[in-house]
Amino acid sequence: MDTQQEPRKTFVVPIGPQHPALKEPGHFEITVDGEIVTAATVRLGYVHRGIEKGVEQQNWTQAMYMLERICGICSHVHATAYALGVEALAGVQAPPRAQAIRVLVAELERVHSHLLWLGVAAHEGGFDTLFMYSWRDREMIMDVLEGLTGNRVNYSCNVLGGVKFDVDDTHADAIRRAIDFLEPRTHHYLKVVTTDETLIGRTRNVGTMTSLEAETLGTVGPTARASGVPRDIRVDAPYAAYPDFPVKTITATAGDLEAKFVVRIQELFESYRVIREILDKLPAGDLAVRMKPRIPPGETVSRVEAPRGELFYFLKSAGGLNPDRVKVRTPSLCNWGSVLATAPGHKLADVPMLIAGIDPCFSCNDRLVTVRRRSTAETWTWAKLRQYGIEYYR
Amino acid sequence: MNIELPPLVALLFFPGGLFLLSAGTVYEWADRKLVARFQNRIGPRWFQPVADVVKLLAKEEIVPDGVNPVLFHGLPVVALVGTLTAALYVPMAGMAPSYSFTGDLIVTLYLLSLMTLSMGLAGANTLDRFSLIGATRALTQLFSYEAPFLMALLGPAIAAGSWQISHVDAYAQGHWWMVLTQPVGFLVALVGLMGKLELPPFDSPEAETEIVAGPMTEYSGRGWALFRIGRDVELLVGLTLMAAFYLGGLANPIEFVLKTGGLLLVTAALQSLFCRLRIDQTVGMWWRIGILLALAQLFLLAFMR
Repeated sequence: MDTQQEPRKTFVVPIGPQHPALKEPGHFEITVDGEIVTAATVRLGYVHRGIEKGVEQQNWTQAMYMLERICGICSHVHATAYALGVEALAGVQAPPRAQAIRVLVAELERVHSHLLWLGVAAHEGGFDTLFMYSWRDREMIMDVLEGLTGNRVNYSCNVLGGVKFDVDDTHADAIRRAIDFLEPRTHHYLKVVTTDETLIGRTRNVGTMTSLEAETLGTVGPTARASGVPRDIRVDAPYAAYPDFPVKTITATAGDLEAKFVVRIQELFESYRVIREILDKLPAGDLAVRMKPRIPPGETVSRVEAPRGELFYFLKSAGGLNPDRVKVRTPSLCNWGSVLATAPGHKLADVPMLIAGIDPCFSCNDRLVTVRRRSTAETWTWAKLRQYGIEYYR
Repeated sequence: MNIELPPLVALLFFPGGLFLLSAGTVYEWADRKLVARFQNRIGPRWFQPVADVVKLLAKEEIVPDGVNPVLFHGLPVVALVGTLTAALYVPMAGMAPSYSFTGDLIVTLYLLSLMTLSMGLAGANTLDRFSLIGATRALTQLFSYEAPFLMALLGPAIAAGSWQISHVDAYAQGHWWMVLTQPVGFLVALVGLMGKLELPPFDSPEAETEIVAGPMTEYSGRGWALFRIGRDVELLVGLTLMAAFYLGGLANPIEFVLKTGGLLLVTAALQSLFCRLRIDQTVGMWWRIGILLALAQLFLLAFMR
């Protein structure tokens, strides 16, 4: 800090890019008056990786593996959104069994993501015991996913036109055992977050957002549903096997942090139910259909419900071996506004919990934005983007 | 138990100096291990706190810009000296206190407060924004728990009719455990001790996820090591005081280990049970509930006598 400057009237607490509360880099400037927050701003973009540009150099199959690495927590939904989009472009329909397995893995992923969030949110509030227990239980799902796909993260379960592996009885039994273990644990966590006095003191009426505000700020996923906005792609525009295995939209009306806890935990029960249903009624048939390496020209939009909310893919093909353009909009990007809008008026101690409340994923939503004027329009090459990144962070 | 030791031995080896430092790290380990087991973790190995201190002492100490270097280097020493001195007036390890005079209870309590005061000043001494907020919170918290804690420890003193720790200890050995006769005071004192040590859920002055390490953010190397040892010793002294007053006194080393160990078990359980309290919740709790309980008990005792 520069001591020579005139003393400033505002006291700004910087959170990030490196801060114990943040697991990924982002920068928040929290203006405080004593302990009370008066303003909050965010600056993102510390981990832009250029994946959208990168996939333009891959062929259609390779691109999926690169896109799957956008997020380490919800990798499967990225691959699913992309695969569904490419299949729509090619006019191919994956077999029902493949679609069911996609949904199965997506719901398992949701379970592990929500349990992970529960732990992180509890840790931000200083409740490390809940953090440790929820992460211990999450290991059950990680083990199941590893047994099913061979990987704890980045399952790469999809191929274009279907899925890569089958779910046999051994897998199904392992999944059922894990769910049977997790269901009573989840009931316990629901009881903890709704009855523990100290936790309620930190979550009830903190970061309250009305459904109108949630609509105006364009929130998605559990953040919107906690404010009573019934917005869920699995219900609004069912994809993959969701028409056959419908889910119920879980909403709450309070709109505060407690509601976000409750919505996410109740979504776990819904996921358990769907997982059991899929295992019981897994359609028979092939796992994949063959696809040609060239995708016919066209544009499409593919939307799936990630654990954090609506994941949006725009795909454009010029008829070649590579995607012409892939645009990814991850759910975290839609939810930042809600943090900044609700933070003023709260205590500084609430800010980490508010940030954690939207289940942010920083690396997923970092993009490069340039304002393109008509006169200076140009197409960037991969090499130029890379050089720009090197210069930017120098 | 009472053994006459030459003053130099008492200061440097037992019960002062070396014994306190090693016993303090053992208690820190026990505390960390217990909390870890309550949280379904493995926890550190027995030598971890010692290894931490040795590592920190060997590391470079960075003095940030804009601090008063005398205060920056001096405050950790003051904090450690305060707690080490306080240990001489309590029945450490079940032995009679090395030094004892009328009213040493008050002196001991203020020597223990020196720790928090030094941490607050150390935080305010730097320009770091996390430190400043942490210092404000540490001092705010000091003002909230200090009065109830003092009053809770006065309960046994009033019952014993003396403000001398050794007399209260002797009185406690000959009577019912005061945790049974004054349960409210015990509760307030125990929670007050946790506030004093900034253990969860009273760790908002150094809430990691909000203000990094609070007042200690700019400390590295030697200063940080001294503060850590100081806090270990404070834990030991606080537990000894509590056991001597409320758990039937400390007559011998075995009683000391059992009683302070039992108290540590309770504090570890309390640490893992709750979500961190915001600083306004902490202050509100102490001034709305803690002080009223302590006052009620104090009045009751005064009338009973």
